[in-house]
Amino acid sequence: MRVNRPTFLLALAIAGFLAVLRLEAQTDPALRPQTSWIAAGSRQTLPREMVFENALGRLGVLNVSGPIDTTGHPFFQPIGSNQRACVTCHQPANAMSVSVESIRERWRATQGRDPIFAAIDGSNNPSLPQGEASSHSLLLNRGLFRVAMPWPPPGVTPEFTIEVVRDPTGVNRDPIYGLRSPAPAVSVFRRPRIVANLKYVTSPDGLFNVKLGVLMDKDPDTGLPSSMNIMADARAMSLSVQAQGAYRDHQGGKGPLTRAQLEGILAFENQIYTAQVWDARGGSLVEPNGPAALGPANVARHSVHVLNGPKTPGFHFFDMWLTPNTTPDPQADVRASVARGNDIFLNRRFWVKDVAHINSIGLANPAKRTCAVCHNAQTSGMDLAPGWVDLGTTNFPTWTESAVWSESPELPVFKLTCRPDAPPHPFLGREIYTSDPGRALVTGHCADIGAITMGQFRGLAARAPYFSNGSAKDLRELVDYYDRRFDMRLSSQEKQDLINFLGVL
Amino acid sequence: MRGGTCTLILLTVLSSGASQSSAQQSSSSPARRNFVACPIVRDTKTQPCWLAEYEGELYYLGQQGGVADDFYPPQLGHLALVEGAVGQGRVCGGIPLQPVKVSVLRELTPACRAMLPAEDGIEAPPPIPAPRGPAPSWVKVDGPGDVTLYFDFDNDFFSLHVTVALTDLAKHVAQLEESRVEVTGFRAATRLTNGQVMTERDDMGSIRARKVADTLTGLGVPARVITVNAPTEAQPADGVNDPRNRRVEIRVR
Repeated sequence: MRVNRPTFLLALAIAGFLAVLRLEAQTDPALRPQTSWIAAGSRQTLPREMVFENALGRLGVLNVSGPIDTTGHPFFQPIGSNQRACVTCHQPANAMSVSVESIRERWRATQGRDPIFAAIDGSNNPSLPQGEASSHSLLLNRGLFRVAMPWPPPGVTPEFTIEVVRDPTGVNRDPIYGLRSPAPAVSVFRRPRIVANLKYVTSPDGLFNVKLGVLMDKDPDTGLPSSMNIMADARAMSLSVQAQGAYRDHQGGKGPLTRAQLEGILAFENQIYTAQVWDARGGSLVEPNGPAALGPANVARHSVHVLNGPKTPGFHFFDMWLTPNTTPDPQADVRASVARGNDIFLNRRFWVKDVAHINSIGLANPAKRTCAVCHNAQTSGMDLAPGWVDLGTTNFPTWTESAVWSESPELPVFKLTCRPDAPPHPFLGREIYTSDPGRALVTGHCADIGAITMGQFRGLAARAPYFSNGSAKDLRELVDYYDRRFDMRLSSQEKQDLINFLGVL
Repeated sequence: MRGGTCTLILLTVLSSGASQSSAQQSSSSPARRNFVACPIVRDTKTQPCWLAEYEGELYYLGQQGGVADDFYPPQLGHLALVEGAVGQGRVCGGIPLQPVKVSVLRELTPACRAMLPAEDGIEAPPPIPAPRGPAPSWVKVDGPGDVTLYFDFDNDFFSLHVTVALTDLAKHVAQLEESRVEVTGFRAATRLTNGQVMTERDDMGSIRARKVADTLTGLGVPARVITVNAPTEAQPADGVNDPRNRRVEIRVR
């Protein structure tokens, strides 16, 4: 039979489509990602232990203090003016952050009317028509919320000038919200951090920031040194400062939180732990005698402020999963891959180069180190010292964006020019193109341009995308970025091992 | 911040030439090499080594370690001011400079990108344990109330050792019923082996002294008991003791 070429191609396409349908039908429904959205104002009792499905398995959430009644609870009730609550952007199912998948589902379920899409920061620009998905593309595509930083920072004389080079959202040139508006602000777009396991985030390192050789900023409530690890730009010296700021900036709160509201929020935040508990291929992550790093109960019980080392490895030990298989065992294979990924994280050395606040603090540039040297805090994977570094995700030329002249840009680009008398950025000099100046929007220092505080490694499977700018849509893209950035030359198997390792945390 | 407060390098060619400088050095022992060059990192089977080339000869500066070490390695992408005494033999392919002070110069120098691969027969020395007490490159303690801090060229960075010394000194002051704390910051010049002299920025001494005073205040020392001095003149260069002139003296009376 003679078949002409267009007909043949059409038949191929139809066959492929049917194959996809068959594959989806065969997928175990229990392993499909599901969301369990808790809306602001929800009245329910959250049990002590919760489990939520996600793409890689199941996430566990542990309320150490016992069941939580959300009725009237300041973390769950819309106490500001825009119907949002803390829980709107910090969902238990998403490891107390919020995933793009959940955000998209809320858009579909509410036709964009969920309070998470509030114009002030849930859209690309409050001046855009708010009923259109395109006005919320950064939230829908990358899970990014707008963060408007006053410019110049209060009480700071910046070392650099800032100009808007590219403004795809229009907000940075907006007459009401932009850099030249009556209330000048630089709008950047960032992912919400996870509000769990916070004892690791708030644990102070000491009197000095050992990286910079300066005294730590202090918690205004206690007068004690802050961890300086709260928020992407470390601008909040305590959880209470963060809560007050979020109430004002994200919930449209008028005036400060009351004492009771603040205490209620902090009490909840300080007792909740989260980590993956089940891997779709590796099975239970919380078996007796299993790895001590896994599951929220283990995260809750471990000590804070333990430095990674031979006797205290960053995520404890996975030796029990390295047992060689004598018979084919897919579950054991995945577990062995996780253990190998942990080994790469701990021991694989590569040249770390041109990272401000890592290579600029006396540790050499480049330094031949491992992942765990920077991600050195046991159990969390953060930095025991203040963890803002310019990994390179937001600054040209190592940024995650394609190019300044990209035809379909998503993020803004700023040009920062450092004063001649000011110290330059240690590895980028005095003219820097960036999509997010990071910590520099707080300090005004050129050396801080692009510096973002490291985040926890926990609950990753439940809260894609990754990096503060949501540029890595999955763990593969995250690992690929590091592989390219530091020329790690990871093999395909090594990448998969790292992905499997990160996916169970 | 390391490398964060230095300013433009002021290179002043003195009337005396390189030959005079060499003559001066020949009368002292050991010989010194003070120069500005791109640092070079050499990979090894263990820790990377840091080297620099001067007049066709390779010098060993130190190896990668941690912030508790005395030696803080330089940075590719930046020139380094190297000031050291010439040692014996070869380490990691270079003539060792020991003691050595390496200052990262502030401005970017993109050409400084030399990385050497590991080679059979060229190994890093065994790691040097971090000093148990004050690291000599950074701190000299002559008593609980008599401390001198040393700095990289044109820089006010506090190394880990400096922060420890300041913390100890603040504790000492807290134990005294009455005290005066005198903080004196110095800027300095440094003489290179080729006869050139580099001088730190005009306000470097006061920046260092002010930073020390502010830090002591932050550690609980009452501001009213601290006096801050900073001579405006740069400490003169002799090509031997120059790293010790970039300093802050703290005296508790």
